[in-house]
Amino acid sequence: MRKDLVFGMAGSGGDGIVSAGDSLLQAASAEGYHGVMTKSFGSQIRGGESSCRVRISTEPVLNPGGNLDVAVALNWEDFLKFGAELPVAGSTVVIYEAATGVPENQIPLVGVTPLQVIAVPIAEMAKSTAGTERAKNTVVLGLIAGWFGIGGEAVMKGISKKLAKKSQELVDANQKAFDAGVVFAKTHPLKADMTVEPSKTKGAVKLLTDGNDMCAAAAIFAGCQFFGGYPITPSTEIMQFFTSHVWKYGGAVLQAEDEIAGIGAAVGASFAGRKAMTATSGPGLSLKSEMMGLASIAELPLVIVDVQRGGPSTGLPTKTEQSDFFAAAFSAHGDVIRPVLAPTSVADIFRITVEAFNIAEYYQTPVIVLSDQEIASRKETLDPIDTSQFKIVNRLLPTGSDLQDYKRFKQTENHISPISHPGMLGGTYLASGIEHVESGAPTNSGSVHARMNDKRIRKFDPLKERKDLFEITGNPDAPLALIAWGSVAGVCREALQMAREQGLDVKLMVPYLLYPVAEQTYRDFFASVQKGLVVEQSHLAQTFKVLRMHLDLPKGLQSLARSGANPFLPGEIVAALHHLLSELQRSHEGKLQPQE
Amino acid sequence: MSANATCEFQAKDYKSDLKPIWCPGCGDYSVVQGIYRALAAIGRPPHEVAFISGIGCSSRIPGYTTAYGFNTVHGRALPIAQGIKLANPDLMVLAAGGDGDGFSIGGGHIAHLIRRNIDITYLVMDNQIYGLTKGQLSPTSQKGRTTCTSPYGSLENPVNPLLYVLAYGAGFVAQASPTDLAGMAAIIEEAIRFPGFAFVNIQSPCVTYGEEAQQIKGLKAISENLSSLGHNPADRLAAMDLAQHYGEKLHLGVFYRNPEPAPTYDALIRERQAALSKDAPPKERILDLFIKK
Repeated sequence: MRKDLVFGMAGSGGDGIVSAGDSLLQAASAEGYHGVMTKSFGSQIRGGESSCRVRISTEPVLNPGGNLDVAVALNWEDFLKFGAELPVAGSTVVIYEAATGVPENQIPLVGVTPLQVIAVPIAEMAKSTAGTERAKNTVVLGLIAGWFGIGGEAVMKGISKKLAKKSQELVDANQKAFDAGVVFAKTHPLKADMTVEPSKTKGAVKLLTDGNDMCAAAAIFAGCQFFGGYPITPSTEIMQFFTSHVWKYGGAVLQAEDEIAGIGAAVGASFAGRKAMTATSGPGLSLKSEMMGLASIAELPLVIVDVQRGGPSTGLPTKTEQSDFFAAAFSAHGDVIRPVLAPTSVADIFRITVEAFNIAEYYQTPVIVLSDQEIASRKETLDPIDTSQFKIVNRLLPTGSDLQDYKRFKQTENHISPISHPGMLGGTYLASGIEHVESGAPTNSGSVHARMNDKRIRKFDPLKERKDLFEITGNPDAPLALIAWGSVAGVCREALQMAREQGLDVKLMVPYLLYPVAEQTYRDFFASVQKGLVVEQSHLAQTFKVLRMHLDLPKGLQSLARSGANPFLPGEIVAALHHLLSELQRSHEGKLQPQE
Repeated sequence: MSANATCEFQAKDYKSDLKPIWCPGCGDYSVVQGIYRALAAIGRPPHEVAFISGIGCSSRIPGYTTAYGFNTVHGRALPIAQGIKLANPDLMVLAAGGDGDGFSIGGGHIAHLIRRNIDITYLVMDNQIYGLTKGQLSPTSQKGRTTCTSPYGSLENPVNPLLYVLAYGAGFVAQASPTDLAGMAAIIEEAIRFPGFAFVNIQSPCVTYGEEAQQIKGLKAISENLSSLGHNPADRLAAMDLAQHYGEKLHLGVFYRNPEPAPTYDALIRERQAALSKDAPPKERILDLFIKK
């Protein structure tokens, strides 16, 4: 019996492999399992290669998993295109389409001998039972139910529900295809028992959604009433969610003519007193940078979600990367601090998005939520979230006495000035991108500019003290350390568990606040660190470099960085930690030997 | 917030204490006077007016009023104004800027505002030159014109702002000029009162970098009143015909006023909000959407 299984399946666009993954995850979640699903596609609009990775577990799942336990290839050409995204190892059971004509001892995976390889006449079974090859994905689901014991009844219940609208015949045909898969599995048992243990939380209410939908729902919960944006992969679903739901809460959404107009409309809505948001991906973030500067100097709250993809330029539009950190923190000219927050999962993008609105409203600033393609499009099962535990912060409005002699940009002790909005009697002022005195009147004065810069920068000092925007796990005094954010944090959480089980004394920091850099929090974390890794999907190691810019890093802190679309595996991080430990031991031994 | 204020306002109530940065004799002094008068005639209290601009000499104008002003970035007054109007349709929203702001760097936005028909009044102070940056070619500069960036004469044809907005289907299109201050104030008032997007091209001379023919005297010489020409503002094709003379004649008055104004975008979204909010779960329960049974 297993507690945890990772499936990786690939086929051509029309094979329905992703919808099979969806059905599997939904069924598993209905049965009370925890699960995560990620999808990966070629860049073709329809057709082309598509794949999904589904991880099912009796325990909460931290990431989409490393090496596959089960690989399903409907054809080898498409499977191989995903390379390191679908890693097969010696522990993997490989199931593939027999019609490919590839003998079981000649599958095209170099340098690896899987645990077991099984050719299944999937297309033929689909045709002979359902009368069409289109039922191939249902056969696959039957095979999975038969061999691994997940999704049996629940899968067919889900499929029937989906197809019942079309015709009963279709439901019956799929049932036959599914049964054929189950029978095949039963008559061809696996060498090892790979069935999953029964779930511990059968019947419990679970949420199932992806990062983009969760982000949009969190925004509406936080009180966002305006979204301005432009379609761009992989962020578009956020705007789509708004178009379905924001009206219900008195809000509006504008699909603008371009990225600049999208954020411009959101800046306008914020000026008008509403909580506002835009969402985009790399190229759109580049276009929006002038407006972000405007929101900073006009001190207008605004949330910008950047769902990162491979860059620069069009880059890898459908694959994840963490290479927008510099752009998020430093794009837009001038001396400016713009907070950058990063969620690590579908579960915590809710909290981080609410937090982004709270920070934006409190500090009167644009805030960037740095999501990524993996979090945005991966589906997770979640325990219900108690929304009543979340505090909602609204911007500081002027009081009656403030309005007696209203100064929009008044210098205050904490550098935060009460903000009025059109419609408020006594609160009229000129907002502007030009430097201004306290009243809002334009100025050319260097001394006023220096004072206002100081106000706009120093107001963020308390944000850097927020310890709750950092997660530190493992032994707090450990000599070994990991730092990771975004979707890579999930991989490192699992690596931490594995490393500690193997006796390594290690700790992990996951920053949810990337910028401004909370220097003291890092210094405290570094106090015990002799060796460590900053793990990130950025060829330039942007996180490592930003940290080095702000801090004296421990000498043994190194960068483990590479380009996106090549996921880190927990095992390779643990191996890197072992290597660091042996370096550490060698250097200690070195110290014991007398010099000369 | 009342749409029709009961208290009366005078032009001076809309004038702020800021001293304009404009050159003495700039046409924009008259434009801002025209705006004060139009606002006073309509009588919305200043705090219910949002006045948005881009960058340029004329984009300084919101600061010279007592309305809520927003002097934004170059070319983006219209997207920001739209966000304001959609966020709070109760507000009166005005946008203003120059010909470069509206038809060059921000030229992509106006078409989309027109097709959305959001109730915003857009005043372009057209002087055929970039004044703030000291005299470069603008999108409405005549072909052949010499400027700092066209020392041997411009090789480009100008944009025709009137035809541009008429072609996209704007419901209200007019032209005004400081050559007739009373007429300009009346046109601005009518534009603001029009229920839907309204555009006024204002020939406002640049006294420092403008050509002789585009100063008040020269403009007066080529100006003609559309009403005295017997033009019917309900006739869109006739309006387009007249608009073709942009640059050679200065037609003042209303080119086109849609006799049956379509519902505005801002009104339609209110209907949608009202219809969909009735049965909506409270936002605290929005995650129920993700429950799988």
